[in-house]
Amino acid sequence: MPFLEVEGISKSYGSTKVVDNVSFSIAEGETYGLLGPNGAGKTTTISIIVGILQRDSGSIRINGKEHSVTDKASKAHIGFVPQQLAVYPDLSAVDNLRFFARLYGLSRADARRRSEEVLEVIGLSDRAGETVSAFSGGMARRLNIGIGLLNRPGLLILDEPTVGVDPQSRNAIFENVKKQTGEGVAVLYTTHYMEEAERLCDRVGVIDGGQIKAEGTQRELVSAVGEDDTIVLRMDGGRESAIRTLEALPETKQVSGEGSEITMLVADARAVLPQVLDSLTQTGTVLRSVEVREPDLEAVFLHLTGKALRD
Amino acid sequence: MTKPVTIGLLNLRRVFRDRTNIFFVILLPLLMVFTTGLMFGQDSSRLGVTGAAEGPLAERLVASLEGTEHATVERVGSEEALRDLVERGAVDAGLIVPEGYDERVREGDAEVSVLSRPDDWGALNLTTWVRSMVSQEATLLGAARFAEAESGGDFDTRLDDAENADIPGIEVAAVTTGESVFPEDVSQYALAAPPILLLFTFLTSLTTAIGIVQTRQSGIARRMYSTPTGVGTIVFGEALGRFVITLTQALLILFGSALLFGVVWGDLVATAAVLTAFCLVGSGAAMLLGSVFKTEGSAVSAALGIGLAAAAAGGTMVPLDAFSGVVRAAAYVTPHAWGYEAFSEIVRHGGGIIDVLPQIAVLLGYAAVLFGLGAWRLQKVITR
Ligand SMILES: Nc1ncnc2c1ncn2[C@@H]1O[C@H](COP(=O)(O)OP(=O)(O)OP(=O)(O)O)[C@@H](O)[C@H]1O
Ligand SMILES: [Mg+2]
Repeated sequence: MPFLEVEGISKSYGSTKVVDNVSFSIAEGETYGLLGPNGAGKTTTISIIVGILQRDSGSIRINGKEHSVTDKASKAHIGFVPQQLAVYPDLSAVDNLRFFARLYGLSRADARRRSEEVLEVIGLSDRAGETVSAFSGGMARRLNIGIGLLNRPGLLILDEPTVGVDPQSRNAIFENVKKQTGEGVAVLYTTHYMEEAERLCDRVGVIDGGQIKAEGTQRELVSAVGEDDTIVLRMDGGRESAIRTLEALPETKQVSGEGSEITMLVADARAVLPQVLDSLTQTGTVLRSVEVREPDLEAVFLHLTGKALRD
Repeated sequence: MTKPVTIGLLNLRRVFRDRTNIFFVILLPLLMVFTTGLMFGQDSSRLGVTGAAEGPLAERLVASLEGTEHATVERVGSEEALRDLVERGAVDAGLIVPEGYDERVREGDAEVSVLSRPDDWGALNLTTWVRSMVSQEATLLGAARFAEAESGGDFDTRLDDAENADIPGIEVAAVTTGESVFPEDVSQYALAAPPILLLFTFLTSLTTAIGIVQTRQSGIARRMYSTPTGVGTIVFGEALGRFVITLTQALLILFGSALLFGVVWGDLVATAAVLTAFCLVGSGAAMLLGSVFKTEGSAVSAALGIGLAAAAAGGTMVPLDAFSGVVRAAAYVTPHAWGYEAFSEIVRHGGGIIDVLPQIAVLLGYAAVLFGLGAWRLQKVITR
């Protein structure tokens, strides 16, 4: 049973449908990415799932139980990292953590202990007593995430947690998220960075105009779109015989050569590659390098919506 | 119940973590009590006098002024020098005993004049007192002259007689109408403290609206709502925070003024009740402001504008007692006027809780309306 099940949720502001019949589910230990451009409806979708925004229709089940804005039992399972830096800038990191821990119902002593643990996880133990307003953007983002971990959530929801963050902090954030999924946490992650979705998410929902346009693993999405993979081979001489050998392979869609380089198009490069290498070895070709280029989510997004992911 | 308290105390903590707030919330009001107290002050008033050397009667008058604790009397050589001192504010008022004062008194048409700067509150008190002292003297001199005319004899002997006769009913109090507005046994700080307490308490409570705006705008309010915490709890917590901040400040001014300046706040129950009711009004208003305004800047402007306007209109800057007619009636639109009236009753006239029940009732009415509107509006913007 998936930890989170979203079924046909919709939300309108006036006559504009901002979230339009969105459905998906996330299993324990799975990371699901909502990938979409600005204004796609990611934050609105997330707010409904978190239970801070009333939906117009549809249903949400968390751990098998129906969830609504007034459902405190379900909220206790959710860790929420909003897009905004929702922390008190005039308080210290540890004070922020303890405060929210108390709101999650932890006793004073537990809140204290759990805050220390979280500070360790987000790497801010040595800055715990410092006022947040003195933090760098990356440190503040890490604290923002830390608050979402306080209640040991079963479902961790992160809304563009890496906006305005340096590469080092970004890696730290990824590590945190991966650690959570390793512990069986279901993660819902929104982003408009394709690389993040590719790197972090097991499955991706491409959202635009409030609708999920396509969903699946990166591979599934790419193959559904029907874009081919490219294999680029570089070798020392004997190009003509190599091309003939490759053309003979059943999976080959197209082969072309230029200089010492051969470019071939196949449906699934990973599946074909062993065969390609085998046959070339048999013809005595000496390969200097092999490169596989798979179409990325950017291409998928362009294909699905007719527009680029970033403006 | 622990969650609203957690939220409330966090708000208190945020206010007092900020050093500048400590200045504005505690030190500044106490400083104001001090300086305003000096203004109301009696022993600190300085009176310049010329013409003491005109004769024994002139000397008599000046000595009688010097003989009280009311003002420090400074003898000045010339009328010109006195005028200069008054204009520079080196003395609060000046008394000119004219040339030939003694002869004129004996003839029965002496005249002295009092100098002061226009619109000077301290001088107003002082000149009133000088007038009463002069008229006491005049009564004595009048009696002596009367005795001289009736039974003959020497004016100076008659003056001694008049003085010893201790003629009743001629002492003129500094403030003379009805029940004294500023009773003499109440210290100047006790007069200064209540209006300043009201002014600052209300102003501070309004500025706590900024905290609500921040909490909403930064997404913290919604984050709080994402935890297993009901919106009612959040609203109650924020309201409690406003109230606790306001009450803390009020108590600090109250105890601070009592300890530092010896202000006697009167009946404990009555003072506590008025204070609580007034703090509720302030925090209710803060809830409303904080839920209505979208940016900190506009909330600050509104808080300062409303806070100062209400304080002025409610008689906590220029004393309410000085208002009359429409202005005075209009003052009672503000909670300040009701608070002022209640504290006047308690601090100046020793009133108890029963005496200030009407004022407390009005304040609680204000509080209920403001809190109701504020809470309703805040829960709406959080769950929107
Ligand atoms: N309270 C609101 N009232 C009216 N329209 C709204 C409201 N909140 C969001 N919208 C609109 O709904 C759409 C989706 O907004 P949303 O914040 O969910 O997008 P997003 O995918 O999170 O974008 P971003 O990447 O910029 O964060 C936008 O067009 C936005 O203008
Ligand atoms: Mg968003």
